[in-house]
Amino acid sequence: MTVERAVLRVYRYNPERDEKPYYREYEVPVDKAQTLLDALFYIQENLDPTLGFRFFCRAAVCGSCAVKVNGISRLACKTPFKNLVERANGKPITVEPLNFLKPIKDLVVDHDQPFESLKKLQTWCEPKEPIPEKEYRIPPEEVKQYERPTNCILCFACYGSCEAVMDDPKYAGPYAFSRVYRYVLDSRVKEEHKREMVKNAMDVGDIWSCVQCQKCIYVCPKGVRPAEDIQNVRGIAAEYGFKDYPGVKKLQHFVDWIYATGQINRLSLPEEVYGVDPTPLINKFKERGAEVWEVPKPLPGLLEFRDLYLEVMKEKKPHLDIDFHHVRKIDKRVEEVFNADVCTKITERFEEQREDFFTRFWKKLSEFFGTK
Amino acid sequence: MLEYDILIVGAGGAGLYAALWASQNPNLKVGVMTKVYPVRSHTGAAEGGINAALANVAEDSPEKHAFDTVKGSDYLADQDAVEIMTKMGPEIIYDIEHRGVPFSRLPDGRIAQRPFGGASFPRTCYAADRTGLVILHTLYDQTLKQGVEFLNEWFLLNVIHNGERVLGVTAWDIRNGGVHFIKAKAVILATGGHARMYWNRTSNALGNTGDGTAAVFRAGLPLKDMEFVQFHPTGLRKTGILITEGARGEGGYLINKDGERFMKKYAPEKMELAPRDIVARSIEREILEGRGCGENGDYICLDLRHLGEKKLMERLPQTVEHARVYEGVDPVKEPIPIRPTAHYSMGGIDTDKYGQTEIKGLYAAGEAACISVHGANRLGGNSLLDILVFGKITAEHAAEYVVGVEHLPTEGGEYVKREEEFISSLMDKEPKEKLADLRREMGDVMASKVGIFREEKPMVEALEQIRELKERAKSGLAVTDRSKRFNLNLIQTLEFLNLLDLAEVTALCAIERKESRGAHYRLDYPNRDDENYLKHSIVRRREDGTLQHGWKEVVITKWQPQERKY
Ligand SMILES: Cc1cc2nc3c(=O)[nH]c(=O)nc-3n(C[C@H](O)[C@H](O)[C@H](O)COP(=O)(O)OP(=O)(O)OC[C@H]3O[C@@H](n4cnc5c(N)ncnc54)[C@H](O)[C@@H]3O)c2cc1C
Ligand code: SF4
Ligand code: SF4
Ligand code: FES
Repeated sequence: MTVERAVLRVYRYNPERDEKPYYREYEVPVDKAQTLLDALFYIQENLDPTLGFRFFCRAAVCGSCAVKVNGISRLACKTPFKNLVERANGKPITVEPLNFLKPIKDLVVDHDQPFESLKKLQTWCEPKEPIPEKEYRIPPEEVKQYERPTNCILCFACYGSCEAVMDDPKYAGPYAFSRVYRYVLDSRVKEEHKREMVKNAMDVGDIWSCVQCQKCIYVCPKGVRPAEDIQNVRGIAAEYGFKDYPGVKKLQHFVDWIYATGQINRLSLPEEVYGVDPTPLINKFKERGAEVWEVPKPLPGLLEFRDLYLEVMKEKKPHLDIDFHHVRKIDKRVEEVFNADVCTKITERFEEQREDFFTRFWKKLSEFFGTK
Repeated sequence: MLEYDILIVGAGGAGLYAALWASQNPNLKVGVMTKVYPVRSHTGAAEGGINAALANVAEDSPEKHAFDTVKGSDYLADQDAVEIMTKMGPEIIYDIEHRGVPFSRLPDGRIAQRPFGGASFPRTCYAADRTGLVILHTLYDQTLKQGVEFLNEWFLLNVIHNGERVLGVTAWDIRNGGVHFIKAKAVILATGGHARMYWNRTSNALGNTGDGTAAVFRAGLPLKDMEFVQFHPTGLRKTGILITEGARGEGGYLINKDGERFMKKYAPEKMELAPRDIVARSIEREILEGRGCGENGDYICLDLRHLGEKKLMERLPQTVEHARVYEGVDPVKEPIPIRPTAHYSMGGIDTDKYGQTEIKGLYAAGEAACISVHGANRLGGNSLLDILVFGKITAEHAAEYVVGVEHLPTEGGEYVKREEEFISSLMDKEPKEKLADLRREMGDVMASKVGIFREEKPMVEALEQIRELKERAKSGLAVTDRSKRFNLNLIQTLEFLNLLDLAEVTALCAIERKESRGAHYRLDYPNRDDENYLKHSIVRRREDGTLQHGWKEVVITKWQPQERKY
């Protein structure tokens, strides 16, 4: 019986003696490797003892072995070799080091820098005073909230896939913000330190550079969802009242205007966010006869739709604790802008009409999209 | 030259916790050297939990915890050390809780505790099924906060002492290559266990190769109780990766090739849930007596199919994933091939109850050390406690010690030269042997002859075979990669040589202990023999390389030996 063999095309680079990186191909019998890590061991033991790569636990818990396989970051020890071979369909399987980290040798890249980022962001616990004699009392639900981020094994697979890192070398990385989020959620941590971490996430870590491409979620071998954690930390930054960050202002603008009118206000956005007076630009457009943006008015049916939606949410997800007070405040601002009463008195209205929400909701939806 | 007041080697739970306490005094220069980044350490693989008598769930006390530990150890643990550990248990848990460890909670917000094998009360604190991971990561975050200095990816070669005081260590810088002497007034070795001597039949990480233990041994200092290695009943057949006890807890069956639930022969009442050592021995017996599954009859099946996909995915997601990835078997449809796997090294560097060795300033803590709090058999959840308690104690002791002493005058040139010569000799050798082959042979010899069942004749053979392997390695095992940077070939060869030294000691101690106690089970001496063997075994290497075997008294304070019955 002939043994099926697969070809691994492996990135090689030893700065000690190679001028530049190159690829070398190795044939590995498929039945000799359960995982990609086994395949690398096969190469090292039988074909080339000089191949450099990292490993330790061989059980997907230490975070050593993340590499790039056919362009995607993965843990070598958690990637079944057979699946790779099947998917490669006879073509070589390319194995490279993670993106964006300094090369050390072959598949080994520098990990100092991403660890250093944690230090800069100060992701740790500063215990809240007074420190109890025994343990802090923490409801199980709280621990559940940070269960996912505490699964992180710091393998940096997400870092190597991150769009923000590609554009902004200062960007700390997805994993780092999941760590911030984890400690911000923790009721044992001092409030001042939480603020410090969130501030660091912005000042040192450039958290607003995340473009929400969701790749970090896709590649994470441990089910951490950094992109979501980042959105949450951004929200917390706004809640903490960090007003001076373009990101916070943008967020506030988006929330307020989309909420109130269904669209952003391109007229006031530059001013609100960057403090730039848009008048000269508008005038220039006008001079050239271009159509000038207007203050957006609420899209037809939007406000009713919004109210219904909120009401449904309130009923179905009471724990969300929708802040009607904030809603009123926005409405007020919109009122000022339009000088008209667009303020919808949600609670009163729904006192009057207690019919089936879903029927009305769907009706509105179809009206909204012009379908039957 | 690098110079520290206290150098900690190893950055698992023991090393990191020691670093936190040693660096309490800002005037001390403390460094941590580790061959892998701290969070890679094997402590992160611990799933089950950590014991301490918090009495959150049931009435409990450090005293009861101590008794369970002593009984579990088959009375070989030093009872004074055990009492120190169990007494400090609660304060240690509270300390790491204050530092942010996300323990699972009771509805009233206190730390939850669950029952674990060998304990008379639910006293195991846990964080879902990744207790070690969150402890390791939380401690690491704390070391960042405290500004602890790390030498990451540095490999300990040897411990240097002058017969009285420690001078420092020699080490290889993995990333850049090159030997260094690191001067230190005190050295704490927290380099972890050595169960990799069973190579593919261990649950341990690939790097759990007992480097610190072997270095101490080469330095002429004693190792203790090396014959005691705990086997976990359910490791995956191919890799030894652990399948949690939870799989049996949820109702999994152990089946031999005839489809028989064989545990009914060995433990008719408890069946699959009998204590670890009994289940491990039963599985091994089935395999030895020809009732193993598969072509070679070398494994047993763990059948979970009757639990159904839904329950499996909900309750045992890790197990399902491990079986799929590492065994290529889907437990929803097929039984999982398993066999016992070497799990924990009870033996190690001989120390007193403060983690001190014979050499002033040289300490050991964690799985590398044998203090001894686990005696002949460690209870689940006691190791994580051990590493923290003695990480702290050694650090405090060392911190006090170094204040009163000066560095010894040495530049370390001669030590560096010796290491460089040794490494060159490995590279200059004619390669006649393959590392992978020798390593596999070592694992096979140890697993088949110095494993779960032991007997004079096969063990004497094993000792011979290990010595032959040493000879073969000496004459024909070369490092063929001559580069400096990230030279895996060199590191793996050094690790293997360490394992061989320790395997030889393990086999020798196992031969000398002519009784059965805890994890050490001899077919030719099936009973415990307190009259002759209620003693620690001690081995040291003479100048000429031969081994000197002896005994040391066990410290008994409150609990006289009784039969160990559950
Ligand atoms: C799968 C598994 C599950 C477990 N579950 C539990 C459990 O639930 N409860 C429990 O109490 N115990 C458990 N244990 C046991 C426990 O995890 C270990 O005994 C404990 O973590 C050991 O910690 P340590 O700090 O002594 O060593 P480790 O965590 O192994 O750390 C050793 C350190 O030494 C360093 N090192 C080693 N050699 C060198 C060298 N040559 N040069 C430089 N640095 C070096 C390494 O880099 C590492 O940082 C489990 C063990 C396994 C294998
Ligand atoms: S979502 Fe953000 S953090 Fe995640 S990969 Fe994309 S840019 Fe990076
Ligand atoms: S978030 Fe996921 S991918 Fe990123 S470092 Fe953590 S475990 Fe790895
Ligand atoms: S080797 Fe530890 S995660 Fe892959």
